Amino acid sequence: MNYFSPVRNVLSVVVYPIQTLASLPSDTSEWMSDFFQSRKELKEKNAQLEAINLSNSIRLQSLQDLQRENMRLRELLGSSFRLPERVKVAEILAIDLDPFSQQVVIDKGEGYDVFIGQAVLDATGVMGQVVKVSKVSSHVILLTNPSHALPVQVNRNGVRAVVTGRGLGKTLQLEHVPHNADIRVGDLLVTSGLGGRFPVGYPVGRVVSVSSAQGQAFAHVLVEPAAKLSTSREVLLVLAAESFSTAEDTEVVGEQVNNE
Amino acid sequence: MSKSSYGGGVIITTLIIAALLTLLPLPDYVRVFRPEFVGLTLIYWALAVPQRVGISFAWSIGLLMDVMLGGALGLLAFTYSLLVYLVLQFHLQLRQYPMWQQALSVFSLILLLQILFVFASSHSAGWTFWMPAIMSMLIWPLVYHLLRGVRRTFHVH
Repeated sequence: MNYFSPVRNVLSVVVYPIQTLASLPSDTSEWMSDFFQSRKELKEKNAQLEAINLSNSIRLQSLQDLQRENMRLRELLGSSFRLPERVKVAEILAIDLDPFSQQVVIDKGEGYDVFIGQAVLDATGVMGQVVKVSKVSSHVILLTNPSHALPVQVNRNGVRAVVTGRGLGKTLQLEHVPHNADIRVGDLLVTSGLGGRFPVGYPVGRVVSVSSAQGQAFAHVLVEPAAKLSTSREVLLVLAAESFSTAEDTEVVGEQVNNE
Repeated sequence: MSKSSYGGGVIITTLIIAALLTLLPLPDYVRVFRPEFVGLTLIYWALAVPQRVGISFAWSIGLLMDVMLGGALGLLAFTYSLLVYLVLQFHLQLRQYPMWQQALSVFSLILLLQILFVFASSHSAGWTFWMPAIMSMLIWPLVYHLLRGVRRTFHVH
């Protein structure tokens, strides 16, 4: 498999102009609609954004306080504390790939230190992860791809599960959930970070239906993805997180246990 | 003779346009009806100028399309070379057919392509699986006349 990735890299650069060209019509129409926006619309939009900004900054103030408190408490518990991840912005090329593959192309590649397995978010939640990287672009596999799985936990009570895709435009589903698991409709699922690929605590989706049919080994749980998979244009690439200082922390925990 | 020297360029240009049509973003409910543009273009050129469009050419185009669409490397390369092989094998018969019969042959060729694609991609396919083949069949007369116009204008022999 790896023998062919240089070939793919080179060919990706060859086809990149065609991909950019294909995304041109929707880029242009977007630019046009930006350009011909009326003053009134812009003012309305601005007022709206300011309101959102205000509420966000209020929340951010309390967040900083909470973060520090969280860190102190974690220190008291002797467990590892998380550093905030940093992100980088990339843009999705507006092109349709093969509908079976459910991937999108973004306009950042090796040149911007994009790497395979990097988590991709949008403003509202997790979108997927990078699967192929070339010099100038990379392919991102979406959550909805049936071959994509992502470790999550329920935000309410920390129940862990694995969420997999079911196809484009369909909801996600939770795999191997026992019938008695405490998962309810409306529960927010966040990344658990257990796979080591995704950062912890980003929203993945909300549970929309839980059904446990008799005779089935596991409960059937459907999840509506939080990210706007088909409409967002800007995505965030999470930088390689040094979020866990695992070796030291496990030692600390071990010592504490010994002391007790 | 000098005019036919840029025949290759014309063929490549039509294929690039076909690739652009394949990549063009469409709403989800329309995109399942998208015909297999690159396949159609390859079929036409293999039919009209079989000495210029060979299996290795189809293979390279397929490889580029694989990279462009992000599928398994070599899948489209294989299916396109098979497509062109079949057309080259039967191009004398295909040329004699009336248009509707040609369109039916195109239907079966594109269907074959789709079947190979679904086999290899391990995804279940619903009713939308038939759509590219059916739409390709329906627009084949249009593609045929359009590309024949192009071929005659630019004297591709």
